Amino acid sequence: MIKKYPLYFLLPAFAVFAVFFITPTITGVYYSFTNWNVNSPIIKFTGIDNYVRMWSEPRIHLAFRNTFIFAFAVTILQTSIGLILALMMHEKLYTRNILRTIFFAPYVIATLIIGYIFKVLYHPDKGIVNHTLDGLGLGFLSHDWLHDPNVALLAIILTDVWKSIGFVMVIFLAGLQFIPKDILESANIDGANYWHRFRHVTFPLLAPSFTVNVLLSIIGSLKVFEIVIVLTGGGPGYRTEVFNTYVMRAFSQGEFGYATAINMLLFLVVTGVGVPVLYWLRKREVEL
Amino acid sequence: MKNRIQLTLVELICILAAFIVMIPFLIILLNSFKDIREAALFGLSLPSEWVFTNYSRVFERADIVRGFKNSFLISGFTVFLIIICASTSAFIIQRRNSILTQRIFIMYIIGLIMPTAIVPTIQLMVDLNINGTYAAVIFYYVAVMLPFAIFLLVGFMKSIPRELDEAAIIDGCNYPRMFFQIIFPLLMPVLITVTIVVMINVWNDFTGPFYLITDTKKWTVVLLIYNFMSQYETDWGLVFAFMTIVISPILIIYILLQRYIIHGLTAGSVKG
Repeated sequence: MIKKYPLYFLLPAFAVFAVFFITPTITGVYYSFTNWNVNSPIIKFTGIDNYVRMWSEPRIHLAFRNTFIFAFAVTILQTSIGLILALMMHEKLYTRNILRTIFFAPYVIATLIIGYIFKVLYHPDKGIVNHTLDGLGLGFLSHDWLHDPNVALLAIILTDVWKSIGFVMVIFLAGLQFIPKDILESANIDGANYWHRFRHVTFPLLAPSFTVNVLLSIIGSLKVFEIVIVLTGGGPGYRTEVFNTYVMRAFSQGEFGYATAINMLLFLVVTGVGVPVLYWLRKREVEL
Repeated sequence: MKNRIQLTLVELICILAAFIVMIPFLIILLNSFKDIREAALFGLSLPSEWVFTNYSRVFERADIVRGFKNSFLISGFTVFLIIICASTSAFIIQRRNSILTQRIFIMYIIGLIMPTAIVPTIQLMVDLNINGTYAAVIFYYVAVMLPFAIFLLVGFMKSIPRELDEAAIIDGCNYPRMFFQIIFPLLMPVLITVTIVVMINVWNDFTGPFYLITDTKKWTVVLLIYNFMSQYETDWGLVFAFMTIVISPILIIYILLQRYIIHGLTAGSVKG
């Protein structure tokens, strides 16, 4: 029995990770307490000034609000639609494999490109979204999707849902495969209908897949960036401003210290939301 | 039979949903074959006249060909480094399973959730004197994607019997040789997954090159699209052709190797 596997095998990975991930994270904490910017020649420690400034900026409140609405809506929509799709796809369909390929395809496309494609779909006069609504006699629902402050965020949310729905579905499909058929059959013999079987057997046993989907969805959507930059650039006004677009703006204005402070706040939010959610979801998982 | 009808109904709903998911793809594909006027209508109809010049015009541009080279170069090197670093690390983490290695594993798991601090990363590259080089972007990607690769590899490593290591060591093999000649080849299935998933992520990424590459000659294809859009937003046929060319390699890889991609992305996520 070998006891001493050589520790130096850990070094290459650890070296890269320590230098290029841990170091910027730690220096980031320091920079977030400085006035570091393009104009001043020296970096000066300014205590919590950046954080005080953030508190007083109305835009960070908007960014906070929008990021949370986005994350919440995306998580709910993605998980519920993904689950429904997975339940349908779990049936014995002829076209199952090709359908799965199609549903998952958007997930492998560059987010930036998806943004540009949806910009085209949402075009107020020529976009297929408004055309379809008109064609269905729902013309009153058509909007200038990306410039109307009331629906711009919704348009971004729907784009993100389109991108990730296949991924969520695939995770649920994998989870469904692990549910023992005999449990469902015995429920069936006991006279449980589809809804009861779902409510009392399938749903509780799908808990691990729920954990993964909800957690990945929350974490991913709190970090949303490319899709917003392309679709609205944070506008109209700052109605779709999110954390990362705000970071980019502060960065391009040369306010590096401040940009890092916003980044730190995002880091705290992701950890602060992610860890409790993980804990809570884990608790309701059923061990088979 | 009631069941048969229900099943057909479910199938029809799924096909309809799949069609809706495909519409954006169809729009760029169809419009990439239309002339400048027709493409600007963003329609879902077949081109009234098939135009192929959009594609030849894209390939005439030197910067786009170079962009492809850059994307290949950056994603290729990233994959190579990740495979070496992650597999060696995962091997020791799984085999030793001591408090130290468990802590290291948890550190990588935390790295999986944490957002990167991009502005300090740029400063770090400046301090290391590699800002704006390929190396800067490559190391940034390796650091960002390493946790995912290690996570996947540790899970897979359990299925490779320890007896193999022991037999090799008893036969007088040293550790590096034992790992690279005996264990490494057995990791192939999961290494394929890591390769594809990392490749796709690096190829598609915008944030990394956007912040870390200033020299236009080193731009990746995705960054080129970003720049292209502001210049040619009126020539939609050309834009759609360019987009089609950028997504095609990824889509083809995905369709051919989807088993590995889907398996990799969902591995470890659902308990068996």
